[in-house]
Amino acid sequence: MDYRENENRLLIDDIKEKCLWGIRVRYLIVGLALPLIVFSLVNKNPPGIYLGLVLFVGGYNALAHVLHSIKMKLDLWQVVVFRSVFQVFDVAATTLLIYITGWLESPYWFLYLVLIILSGFGMFSYYSLSVFLIASVSALFYLGLLWSAYTGFLPVYGPSFTLSPEELLRSIFNKAIFTTVSFFLFAGTIYYFSKLLSQHREELYKKNEQLLGALEELKDIDLLKDEFISTASHELRTPLSIVRENVSLIEDGVVGEVDAKQKKLLSVSRENIDRLAGILDNLLDISKIESRSLELNCQPTDISSIAKRAIELMADKANYKKISIEERLPEPLIARADADQILRVFINLIDNAVKYTQREGKIGVEVEDAGARIKASVRDNGPGIAEANLPRVFGRFVRFDIETKGSGLGLSICKGIIEMHHGKIWVESKSGQGSKFTFAIPKGEAND
Amino acid sequence: MTELKRRILVIEDEKEMLEAVRLRLEANSYEVISASDGAEGLSQARSEKPDLIVMDIMLPKMDGFTVCRMLKFDENYKNTPIIMLTARTQEMDVARGKEMGADAYLTKPFKSEELLAKIKELIK
Repeated sequence: MDYRENENRLLIDDIKEKCLWGIRVRYLIVGLALPLIVFSLVNKNPPGIYLGLVLFVGGYNALAHVLHSIKMKLDLWQVVVFRSVFQVFDVAATTLLIYITGWLESPYWFLYLVLIILSGFGMFSYYSLSVFLIASVSALFYLGLLWSAYTGFLPVYGPSFTLSPEELLRSIFNKAIFTTVSFFLFAGTIYYFSKLLSQHREELYKKNEQLLGALEELKDIDLLKDEFISTASHELRTPLSIVRENVSLIEDGVVGEVDAKQKKLLSVSRENIDRLAGILDNLLDISKIESRSLELNCQPTDISSIAKRAIELMADKANYKKISIEERLPEPLIARADADQILRVFINLIDNAVKYTQREGKIGVEVEDAGARIKASVRDNGPGIAEANLPRVFGRFVRFDIETKGSGLGLSICKGIIEMHHGKIWVESKSGQGSKFTFAIPKGEAND
Repeated sequence: MTELKRRILVIEDEKEMLEAVRLRLEANSYEVISASDGAEGLSQARSEKPDLIVMDIMLPKMDGFTVCRMLKFDENYKNTPIIMLTARTQEMDVARGKEMGADAYLTKPFKSEELLAKIKELIK
């Protein structure tokens, strides 16, 4: 699975990054050891085995560096094997260091513990078993060192040189048991912690996978919904247009006399067919806006003149209710915008205002320059919106007034269009004191 | 009187829609000839030489875009105005229709007064 591979890739990169730090630290150690060797040379003390140790570390570190920089596509387990091999080299170098720095009394055996800790870091799931590998190798090397000293295979360094054979034997025996037990206790602790960490990681991974699956499913459902709306509204259009045309033919008296009463009924029918068509348009638009498939044709546009056009288009409707529209539309205010869509926003807002304002009421339309933005507002002196309802005004299918006709989609379409223009739309309203809808869109590079 | 009648070709596969448009146009003293698919429409357009064509986009046999292009790229018919009627509202379709040379574009359900106004405007 893609996601699993991706996760492994991340883990590999993580381990590689940590290995690079290990390589840097080894270079630093070699760099620090070199002056000591030069110092001993100056003092006419042959560095001997120290030089050998430094060359050993420098050598395998250089090899590690080369392997690290070669672009190889490795599996997770291969990376882990490479890493473990170099950790074994580290253990060997540490063993050598312990041997030449006082052997039994050498303080450096704590470095084994450091190596066990390091092997636990960055290793997750079953790879955390590598702590036991390092612990075993450490114990093996250390015990080997003690054994070679005991059998006289290697010369004994340090103060233990002066111990009697019995004392030496007891000391070696104590040391061997103590260190070996320490290593495995330590490895066990580190293993436990890394297991704990990896468990969290595994859980997170599983949750993530579930979430991703759910997201895909939701996306599919959403796509299906959009397709459904789009097909449904197309399929509905043809029969709707046949009904509309036939009703309108009868209404216009094309197929015979129609009396006033019949005509009234027919015109109500026709108006409602148009309303239905409007709702279909809105449904299609909201699904396009939400699926981001509505394409804007942005040009430098005079927002004031669009507002003027919208007012002209809505004039009949307003006149019918004897509503006066006050306008404050100063000199051309240019913003980069899709003229048709902004016109729809104005029409929707003015249409709402007309709907909610009582007869002989007042509507105000205003466009103003607000620095980097153009601000436009439509205000009415209708019943206003209750405070509790304000947050839901721009939601889909939201209608507070059952009496008023509408699909409850107009404002969410406005919001969608304005947001696609990287603008904002909001409402200020108080119950009984009317509402004011305002939107602001950035001017963009319109003034270039 | 009859000589003055303008002839309009309506290409539409929905029979009821076709009849409604025919009634409306005849009531406004146009002569109406019709076709129910794209191929028939194209041959009608060539043989009957209508003054204007009203057609759907989604047509059997040959779609409206193709018929439109065939006519508009033909010297003999390129001046015949074409009005596209469609249930599709995608902006892309409008753009494509214009590209193919359609003179006007009405979305279903269209208002008959709009159709009549467009016809009047396009027939000189």
